[in-house]
Amino acid sequence: MSETLTARPALAGIALPGRHGTGNGAPGVTLRERTDLGVVAVMARKGQGEALRMAVASAYRATLPDTARYLAGQTVGFVGTGPGQWLAVSASLGGGALAVDLTAKLAGLASVSDQGDGRAVIRIAGPRARDVLAKGLPIDLHPSVFAPGSAATSIISLMGVTLWQVDETPAYDLVVFRSLAVSFWSWLTDSAAEYGYEVVPATN
Amino acid sequence: MTIGTPTDQPSRLAFGGLIDRRLPLRFRFDDLELTGYAGDTLASALIANDVKLVGRSFKYHRPRGILTAGSEEPNALVELRAGPRREPNTRATTIELYDGLAADSQNRWPSLRHDLLAVNQLAAPFLGAGFYYKTFMWPAAFWEKVYEPAIRRAAGLGRAATAADPDPYEKAFAFCDVLVIGGGPAGLAAALAAGRAGARVILCDEDFLAGGRLNAERRGVGDKPAYAWAAEAVAELAAMPDVTLMPRTTVYGVYDGGTYAAIERVGDHLPVPAPHTPRQRNWKIVAKRTVLAAGAIERPIVFGGNDRPGVMLAGAVRTYLNRFAAAPGRRAVVFANNDEAAATTADLAAAGVVVAAVVDTRRDVPAATREAAKAAGALLVAEGRIVEAKGGRRGVRSALIRNRDGRDMHLACDLIAVSGGWSPTIQLTSHLGAKPMWDEARAAQLPGALPPGMAVAGAAAGDFGLGSCLAEGHAAGADAAEALGHDRSSGAAPVADDEPAGLAPYWHVKDSAGKAFVDFQNDVSVSDVALAVRDGFRIAEHLKRYTTLGMATDQGKTGNTAGMAVLAEATARPVAEVGMTTFRPPYVPVAIGAFAGHHRGKAFRPTRLAPSHAWAAERGAVFVETGNWLRAQWYPEAGETDWLESVTREVKGTRERVGVCDVSTLGKIDVQGPDAGTFLDRVYANTFSTLPVGKARYGLMLREDGFVLDDGTTARLGEEHYFMTTTTANAVKVMQHLEYCHQVIWPDLDVQMVSVTEQWAQYAIAGPKARAVVAALLDPSQDVSNEAFPYLAAGPVTVCGGVAGRLYRLSFSGELAYEIGVPARYGDALIRAIMTAGAPHGIVPYGTEALGVMRIEKGHPAGNELNGQTTAHDLGFGKLLSKKKDFIGRFMAARPALTDPGRTTLVGVKPVEPGARLRGGAHFVPRDATVSSENDQGYLTSVAFSPELGHWIGLGFLANGPERYGEVIRAADPLRSADVMVEVCAPCFIDPEGARLRV
Amino acid sequence: MRIRCPYCGERGLEEFTYRGDATVTRPETLDQTAEAAWVDYVYLRDNPAGPHREHWYHGAGCHAWLVVTRDVRTHEILGVELAGGPA
Ligand SMILES: [Zn+2]
Repeated sequence: MSETLTARPALAGIALPGRHGTGNGAPGVTLRERTDLGVVAVMARKGQGEALRMAVASAYRATLPDTARYLAGQTVGFVGTGPGQWLAVSASLGGGALAVDLTAKLAGLASVSDQGDGRAVIRIAGPRARDVLAKGLPIDLHPSVFAPGSAATSIISLMGVTLWQVDETPAYDLVVFRSLAVSFWSWLTDSAAEYGYEVVPATN
Repeated sequence: MTIGTPTDQPSRLAFGGLIDRRLPLRFRFDDLELTGYAGDTLASALIANDVKLVGRSFKYHRPRGILTAGSEEPNALVELRAGPRREPNTRATTIELYDGLAADSQNRWPSLRHDLLAVNQLAAPFLGAGFYYKTFMWPAAFWEKVYEPAIRRAAGLGRAATAADPDPYEKAFAFCDVLVIGGGPAGLAAALAAGRAGARVILCDEDFLAGGRLNAERRGVGDKPAYAWAAEAVAELAAMPDVTLMPRTTVYGVYDGGTYAAIERVGDHLPVPAPHTPRQRNWKIVAKRTVLAAGAIERPIVFGGNDRPGVMLAGAVRTYLNRFAAAPGRRAVVFANNDEAAATTADLAAAGVVVAAVVDTRRDVPAATREAAKAAGALLVAEGRIVEAKGGRRGVRSALIRNRDGRDMHLACDLIAVSGGWSPTIQLTSHLGAKPMWDEARAAQLPGALPPGMAVAGAAAGDFGLGSCLAEGHAAGADAAEALGHDRSSGAAPVADDEPAGLAPYWHVKDSAGKAFVDFQNDVSVSDVALAVRDGFRIAEHLKRYTTLGMATDQGKTGNTAGMAVLAEATARPVAEVGMTTFRPPYVPVAIGAFAGHHRGKAFRPTRLAPSHAWAAERGAVFVETGNWLRAQWYPEAGETDWLESVTREVKGTRERVGVCDVSTLGKIDVQGPDAGTFLDRVYANTFSTLPVGKARYGLMLREDGFVLDDGTTARLGEEHYFMTTTTANAVKVMQHLEYCHQVIWPDLDVQMVSVTEQWAQYAIAGPKARAVVAALLDPSQDVSNEAFPYLAAGPVTVCGGVAGRLYRLSFSGELAYEIGVPARYGDALIRAIMTAGAPHGIVPYGTEALGVMRIEKGHPAGNELNGQTTAHDLGFGKLLSKKKDFIGRFMAARPALTDPGRTTLVGVKPVEPGARLRGGAHFVPRDATVSSENDQGYLTSVAFSPELGHWIGLGFLANGPERYGEVIRAADPLRSADVMVEVCAPCFIDPEGARLRV
Repeated sequence: MRIRCPYCGERGLEEFTYRGDATVTRPETLDQTAEAAWVDYVYLRDNPAGPHREHWYHGAGCHAWLVVTRDVRTHEILGVELAGGPA
């Protein structure tokens, strides 16, 4: 048998493009599943923090953040998820390629574990994004304390989430476990409906 | 006379008030079709329409009217809306009028005016304090069958809706520098000062119109009318980008760390919530500083008949007159122990209400009150008291007034405006456990120790004057902002005079005629308090429980202070000594729906969907929740009528040909690093550092107390890379345990771990034809023969044209079996490919039930056996415990009691009568023994019908189990009247040598 | 209650799991004479009325085990550190 397997996005058949919720003018937020992203857990080996930092800098022209921040590199960004732990995120190295690349370049400095299939990534953008997230996220997103590049791992409506702010729209990327994507979408769209939301087709 | 101008609202004043006369609103109360205005509450609209009788009381069904103008209302409780939206015990004083509002009175039958249940009043002498305790002592069975239903029919507070609430509720989080609780003078001043200084401010106000008493009094702030100043303050605050105004929002709880709970009534003022908006939103607010400006609640003086419709708190009278332009009566008597008498008399007179008398309990009545009485043409009765409010169900008709010489006079009136002074609204200051302090000068409880970060301003702090409220609020807001690093703003504090208070404590009229009520909602009277004292209940907490004083939905907001004062009098002690009951959240009733928020119905908790979910749903699988996962339980086929039929077919299909099951839900943990093997040796009872790369091994994990925590198989994928699996149920717990072991116990180990449960879609393919199916799925040149890939082999493969996957030769079913894993995005495609590849071999998908049957046939312990009370020895795994190394649980597992052969250990059982059915949970007793706790020797944990053996089988724990194979014992299940003779056997029923695994 | 995680910052109670006494140390010996030490480690706990060192798990955040010094009478949190020390 050599029929190729087709990838199924976590929100296939669930995130239906179109305008939903209150009103029909400009939506309060837009929602988009980001598919085919490379998402990889990077965990520093003991005592290798500094060497890892240098390896990441030279391999990806990226800075490993010491705190819960998202720092973009050339093709790979790193978001801090815990002491000595990061998620590497890449739009260009999807489908397992990022894990392969990181494993090769960080050998001996970090343990690398592909999470690209274990997570669903949703981008929420628009003037009401903070109001939508406030209905579940117990974290202050006020621009004075949470700005582009700020990141956090927390819990929304009983579901774990890692998020970071992308820009000042504001836009946020939300990373949730794949098996919970449908439940998360239910919370997200229920919460966004008050302000009107538009689902745009999935891309990376 | 300004009342009764051309309008259909006979008691609406001709002008004034903060209502919108251009927006008339129709509403219904019982059978009355009425009209009010935008800006009205249901209470103010009823008053404008001369409706005085609003409800019947809880116990005696006495006619009751409106006492207050706020959320403290004990009497005017109605059922709002109808059908599934019907909401009982809603306070008419807080219901914002909307067009089409429908409300019904409660606690009456058949109608409010002719309530037959009012015969309870005749029984009043028997329904006093402690009545329940004394009367319904015996026999106990009578409680359920006789007393309780009868009492419930006669008493109770409204009827809950019988259908599910159709409206959504939400939760939300907010953060701020300064939370201001209350939108009256102190709160507005605080918010302005903090907001102007640049702080992030949230102002929560219970009312739909901010301003508090500024909207209710004919006062001024600076050179403006008070209500106008309030409106300007609100406008200024609304224009500040970092100030959030939250009207219709009650802060109801204080929690540690500056956390506050608040309920926002988003859609309660609408017939139904606007589309896509909730009815209510339950906020958790985290504030660095808080200004409590919750004001104060006026309290009555207790006198005979004080619960009749038409007896109203003086402050509420002024609210209805000034804010709502509604006159609560035509002919009033004012009864007070403080200077509220003056303002109330003046406001009544200004509205055209006749003030028949001002009854002032004070010996020396201040000039202001004397002048107000004179100007209103009212008789002033100094050092007087009202002995009884007389009247009928429509309300007060006259007041029996006694002067200082004991001479009585009867004055006709339909309104008694009463003020016993004010009690600061301090409930929130006590939610973390601090006790309030009794202040003798103010005759009120004042805040004790405050929650960290909280300041109290204005009337809530016991400073009732308007000028003090504004100044204190301003200072508290500025202080809070400054403490957080903001410069104090240059804005000046608003200015107003302090009105005099002149309170001379006077709690109740001792020579009252008729029943005098302390707690209206629970019908607790002065005589009940006296009875409680006679029965020996002498402190506040005891009084509360004996009489139910303060235990109703209003939590005694108006009645508690007077209740304590009456108790103090009855026991001849100062009020400070009788204590105060404890304040706990919530400050106001909060609907259960608001606590649930999004989490109701299918969203009760999040659901995790396995990679094959869409495919399984298309096939009509029956799903079961295991943990948060939704797993296929079985896959019914056309013509099957019974789950057992489907499951039996699935088991047979698997054992005879080949079956496939989604096992992705098992916990999967990547364990990596140079010390990964060492780490696994310490967390598993058996050894993993010696496991060759490319092999998997069963592992048993103990808790430190020596009992079994979890089990699973772990494969070694590289020198420094292990892939651990856990049971579905324990995945999160095991991850937490491993991280504890690493971070707390052995931080020196160079090991890293991360959950990959979600990363891999994994399918078990089991049965004699499994190899053929797996071979068809793998890309060519990958050898899965028994020689190349033997039992317990593990390694990388490529699947279906290059997808990087993993293959494990593992078997839970006891058959030749593989588990094949691919990245989860391919999980849906892979199950479809497996079904295609398996079709020529007659593949059958099987669910968790068939999985369970096959593991019971094989004697593999699962959740029912790994129940937290079993040891490795109990499970027959004693030989797995390594003697060569330390590991979690090793020392404690070796304790004699945990390895005692007399312990109950895992056995199999089969019924002596082949057709008999076994039931999980049955207890084992010796064959000829009676079924009793003394003879209990163990219990049956798991049962299944074995299609291969053609009878029921079971696993269980039996004392001295392994020594008793062949013995017949009883599996007794008295709860389900089952008692089956079973033969004890080894727990593995099929292929005990494991020959099928290794072909 | 709010706990200031050294990595994540101040977070609400809903993100944490309580485990218990952080002052106990796992015995290093398996010698039978160590039974009292093991029983002490596994079962016996002091319950001081006042500040106490406790293990909390930031499971919904950075997965760090924390040592939280908390006054159990007031819930005041006096200090928080990573149980495993700096990474
Ligand atoms: Zn953390």
